[in-house]
Amino acid sequence: MDGSVSKVNPAAATGIQVSDLTFAYARRPVLKGISCALQQGAIGLLGPNGSGKTTLLRCLLGQVPLTRGKVKVAGFDMAASARRARAHLGWMPERGGVIPGMSGVGLTAYLGELSGMCARDAMQRAHEVLHYVGLADERYRKCEDYSQGMKQRLKLAQALVHDPQWLLLDEPTSGLDPQGRIAILELVRDLAWNKGLGVILSTHLLADVEAVCREILVLKEGRLLAREQVDGGTGEPRQVFEVEGFGDEEAFRAGLDRLGAEVVRDNRLWLVTLDLVRLAAEGSGRGIDAAAGTGAILKAAAQADFALRRLRRRPLTLAEEFYRLVEA
Amino acid sequence: MPVYDRGYTHWQPSGGAHLPAWLVIARRGIVEPLKRRWLLLLILTGWVPAIAKGGIIYIKLKAGNLADLLGGGWTSIGPDGFLNFLEHQRFFVFVLLAIVGAGLIADDRRDNGLSLYFSRPLSLTDYLGGKAAVIVFFYFMVTLFPSYALCLLAYLVAPGATGLDMLLLMPLRVTAYCLVSGVSIALVLLAFSSLGKRSIFVMVWWAIMVTGTEAIAAIAGGLGSHGLEAVNFLGQYHNLGAVFFSTGPRLQVPVPVSLVMILAWTALAFLVLRRQVRPVEVVS
Repeated sequence: MDGSVSKVNPAAATGIQVSDLTFAYARRPVLKGISCALQQGAIGLLGPNGSGKTTLLRCLLGQVPLTRGKVKVAGFDMAASARRARAHLGWMPERGGVIPGMSGVGLTAYLGELSGMCARDAMQRAHEVLHYVGLADERYRKCEDYSQGMKQRLKLAQALVHDPQWLLLDEPTSGLDPQGRIAILELVRDLAWNKGLGVILSTHLLADVEAVCREILVLKEGRLLAREQVDGGTGEPRQVFEVEGFGDEEAFRAGLDRLGAEVVRDNRLWLVTLDLVRLAAEGSGRGIDAAAGTGAILKAAAQADFALRRLRRRPLTLAEEFYRLVEA
Repeated sequence: MPVYDRGYTHWQPSGGAHLPAWLVIARRGIVEPLKRRWLLLLILTGWVPAIAKGGIIYIKLKAGNLADLLGGGWTSIGPDGFLNFLEHQRFFVFVLLAIVGAGLIADDRRDNGLSLYFSRPLSLTDYLGGKAAVIVFFYFMVTLFPSYALCLLAYLVAPGATGLDMLLLMPLRVTAYCLVSGVSIALVLLAFSSLGKRSIFVMVWWAIMVTGTEAIAAIAGGLGSHGLEAVNFLGQYHNLGAVFFSTGPRLQVPVPVSLVMILAWTALAFLVLRRQVRPVEVVS
């Protein structure tokens, strides 16, 4: 039945497929030929202001007519079966998202019913999700009396009420104090990592993405610039290592030079940048991973009789990665 | 203990039947205003004319003056009397609909509620149908339902064929009239509501539409220019009522002109709603 929430066959497609997605507001192109296939997991949507992040989320929700391209959610084509597709999506908007005059539980149950749940299920489920997000004690209060943090939790609860496969979160930590931000991120992380929900997190806060997501999509000027894993750059060919020790510094430096390393000294700390591709090619390491670099430095230190007190790979922050991608 | 440790469980449907989305929207739109006591009082006040008329009908019939009641006038139980009654209810229609209808879409637009609605599996028709049903319900509260009560009373106390007419034909006439006028008025009011984000401004526009056009028509009529009566918003519905109640036109304007005006307003309202009600606002 169209409009109802149908529990999916586990064998059926659960992902989101986007192909050649193009959209323009009043003839101004906002999204240009985006294609990607998203499986379950937490995915960060990053991009400078005006890059089309929120518009992409709205396209995934079928809230705007596509100029060109196709969006499929859980196997349902958004153009042909928008209602069936939306039944598998939960949306947490950045702005608004609560209906004044209603209690938290009333609003959540109401939106559950609109998602195709029967009244009894919707009310029961509303209590459950409000409990889950930590609003159990405030669920009978009017939405407009909620603090900003409580409103964000309520918005998350209403997005969860019909048990969607995917959560689309637009700036979920916007306007929250640090404690509230951590609480929301914990919830989102739990949903994505432990409860099997797909999460698409659109935000300006790179730390939020770093805390929750395993993968990022980077948008710039309406184009999908990159799709990368959030792994601290372990797969990057150039890695930075922090080295500290004592002994024959000149011999150690010469050993590093033989590895083709760039060395910057900051007092007692050595910042050693190694090209892991080159190391792999020369057979000095075990391939392109951080361990190869660590091994090469250990070997150089041993040969130079340089006693190491500290050796660790400096992970590439998401901010560095993001700016590298966007400014490239 | 972190809140997520309390657990998130997936939903297991109980198999209960769910209401169509438009009905869920309508139910909320009807129940929420009815929680306000003063609104209930207003609705009850809207029944006062019906109670008064019912009392007069009862007394006259008990006194054996059926002939008086079959003639024209406010106390008549003929078609003319019922159309008169519905016409006199226009004050309550105006006030009640302004209160319950002005914010129906405007409030959703103000609170970014449209985005929330249209992230759910519902269509524009569901949304508008639910909102329109709210207005139609409150319209019926002061027009159709009191008319039914009067029909029932007249049936109970009027003798013979007149009573039978009150049971069969008159309810049909009243239902058809109220349904046509109610749906059209609901779409027009929703269109006004979709144009603003503050219900107070919508109320002002609604007041201009109802009382302003009536005043213009009255002034024009007083000056002998009866053609301008065609702008009288609620007047056109009463004029069209002549078709449903088989009576003469209420205005100097021909009934087909009223029909054209009503169709034009309704079509315009529909176009406005199609344009205004969408989850994303395009700022050009």
